[in-house]
Amino acid sequence: MALRELSSLEKCLGLKKPNKYSTQGDKKVPVLQNINGPSLVGLVTIATHLVHEAKRAELLGASAEQRAVVQQWLEYRITRLDSYSKDELKLILKELNQYLEDKVYVAGNVFTLADILLYYGIHHIIVDLAIQEKEHYLNVTRWFDHIQHYPGVRHHLPPVVVLRNRVYPSGHY
Amino acid sequence: MTKENVQGAGKEEQQVQSKKALKKQQKEAEKVAKKAEKQAKVAAEQQDADEDDFAKDRYGVCPMVQSQQKLDRALVRVQELTPEKAEQQIWVRARIHTSRAKGKQCFLVLRHQQFTVQALIAVGDCASKQMVKFAANLTKESIIDVEAVVKKVDQKIESCSQQDVELHVERIFVISQSEARLPLQLEDAVRPEGEGDEEGRATVNQDTRLDNRVIDLRTTTSQAIFRLQSGICQLFRDTLINKGFVEIQTPKIISAASEGGANVFTVSYFKTSAYLAQSPQLYKQMCICADFDKVFCVGPVFRAEDSNTHRHLTEFVGLDIEMAFNYHYHEVIDSITDTMVQIFKGLRHRFQTEIQTVNKQYPSEPFKFLEPTLRLEYREGVAMLRAAGVEMGDEDDLSTPNEKLLGRLVKEKYDTDFYVLDKYPLAVRPFYTMPDPNNPKYSNSYDMFMRGEEILSGAQRIHDAQLLTERAQHHAIDLEKIKAYIDSFRYGAPPHAGGGIGLERVNMLYLGLHNIRQTSMFPRDPKRLTP
Repeated sequence: MALRELSSLEKCLGLKKPNKYSTQGDKKVPVLQNINGPSLVGLVTIATHLVHEAKRAELLGASAEQRAVVQQWLEYRITRLDSYSKDELKLILKELNQYLEDKVYVAGNVFTLADILLYYGIHHIIVDLAIQEKEHYLNVTRWFDHIQHYPGVRHHLPPVVVLRNRVYPSGHY
Repeated sequence: MTKENVQGAGKEEQQVQSKKALKKQQKEAEKVAKKAEKQAKVAAEQQDADEDDFAKDRYGVCPMVQSQQKLDRALVRVQELTPEKAEQQIWVRARIHTSRAKGKQCFLVLRHQQFTVQALIAVGDCASKQMVKFAANLTKESIIDVEAVVKKVDQKIESCSQQDVELHVERIFVISQSEARLPLQLEDAVRPEGEGDEEGRATVNQDTRLDNRVIDLRTTTSQAIFRLQSGICQLFRDTLINKGFVEIQTPKIISAASEGGANVFTVSYFKTSAYLAQSPQLYKQMCICADFDKVFCVGPVFRAEDSNTHRHLTEFVGLDIEMAFNYHYHEVIDSITDTMVQIFKGLRHRFQTEIQTVNKQYPSEPFKFLEPTLRLEYREGVAMLRAAGVEMGDEDDLSTPNEKLLGRLVKEKYDTDFYVLDKYPLAVRPFYTMPDPNNPKYSNSYDMFMRGEEILSGAQRIHDAQLLTERAQHHAIDLEKIKAYIDSFRYGAPPHAGGGIGLERVNMLYLGLHNIRQTSMFPRDPKRLTP
């Protein structure tokens, strides 16, 4: 899964030459063999490296504060989104929904690597949501729909249908 | 020495024993004395009471009403207690809803059907201390006759339906006494869900309600629900009779299943077996062949589906319509939808109080509909669902969640809670459904929906014996068993269509309730056969 995600990220960043990856351990942590230096291990590490290679450093945040926020959400993706138990799912969606209430992108008003990786990581959850649930986590759905339509991001993932108008206005049913 | 010792010990023992016995005796004597004293006291009090009680003819327990006498006494209904009746002396028969004694006064809330009024008994010219005590000790739900004067009140009584008056009781007699312990409290049974959670107050769960249905039916909510239900039936009849329909009665014990054999109840019928009718389908069609043109039928319908859902019962009341048409079955759809619209309008017009009463416990948005009724084709419905991300085949039947979702999508787009879905795939309909002339995969059949749930299923029927035989064979139905049915189309049969409506569902969905058992007076489901 992570490997397909990295190859999509390469395309998204406009890198022409695809890298070769292997995996390591039970959790299939991705590994990148680097020709010029030591090999890189881990999704976020490799992703950050690819961003630098593509000379798109702005995707990691323009200011120190933004860089910190981006790092925080990259970590969130790995620690929370990639290993949650079933009962936590609703909690995750709820906290994300609250967080995104006043934001266009995860790190505020600019598109960053955190949006891309969070989108890849949350796709399998959103795809399974019923319409009523998508409407319930309105901010998550809005952000998700925006990112999946962001030029060049979606690649290997199927589009998820998102209704633009509210179908369950009263809350019950 | 040893002997003496033993004797001595024996004596001591005796003494001890006798001491114990003495004590015991003494205690018992004391007890008896106390009891006697108590009895005497009670008797004395009673006597006192009897002697002092100047009002002893003004209250008491009536002898059982066995129709010994014809009293010339007009009983005023609780709902008629309005300020116009102020200062009048009247008689009322009602139940004791609640009672609250406070020193020399006792407040009662009297209830008749969904109406309540406050009554007051105070020690004074008409009532003695004993009478107030008697009133305060009456058990809840007892039926009483009271004579009282209607008095206007300065401050509205919020807890009663009759807010502007109260009754000053002068006489009070018990007609029927209730047992002190009730299996459920009426206030608990009408409390909206979630409300009172903080105060730790109880709500009554559905099974308890249904187990004690007689008491549950006394609640204001139940009273309103079933008055509305009666209204639906009446509006249904009135509208159709105005349209020139004839009411028919059909047998419920039948020889063959009308819509597939899996979900019918089998009953033993002398030496053979019979089925309980799943719908009056075959009979209403035979009436059409017998030139009745437009018929309807209100009666029980049985389904042996083992489904324990919020909207399935094993016995419900079917409102069935069958009608001959001239050239296109949409004539029938229009007639049925117009009937439904007349019902909705009639309910909105005549049953506003009942709707509001139910809304207090089960809040819902008012029911919306369009005129003329919205008609969508099945294909359009499927397209709307696909646009919303639902994956389904062209000829798949609608699953319940998809049905509900489509209802929401339609509500959002057209702002209506009532619509018709036309042209169902032929494969998902019964054998007597007329195929669509333009596309053999579809059929001239339709469902009607309220708040996204099916309430009516109908179609143009095949009125040609030849085609009917073919379709029955295609569905692998034993032709022998439906011979009488097929034969009825051999001697000239007009084109016709119809549909069957579930009364309980209409009631449930109109009021926005969530369980069909709430709109069935004595519900029958796979797990419930009583009461």
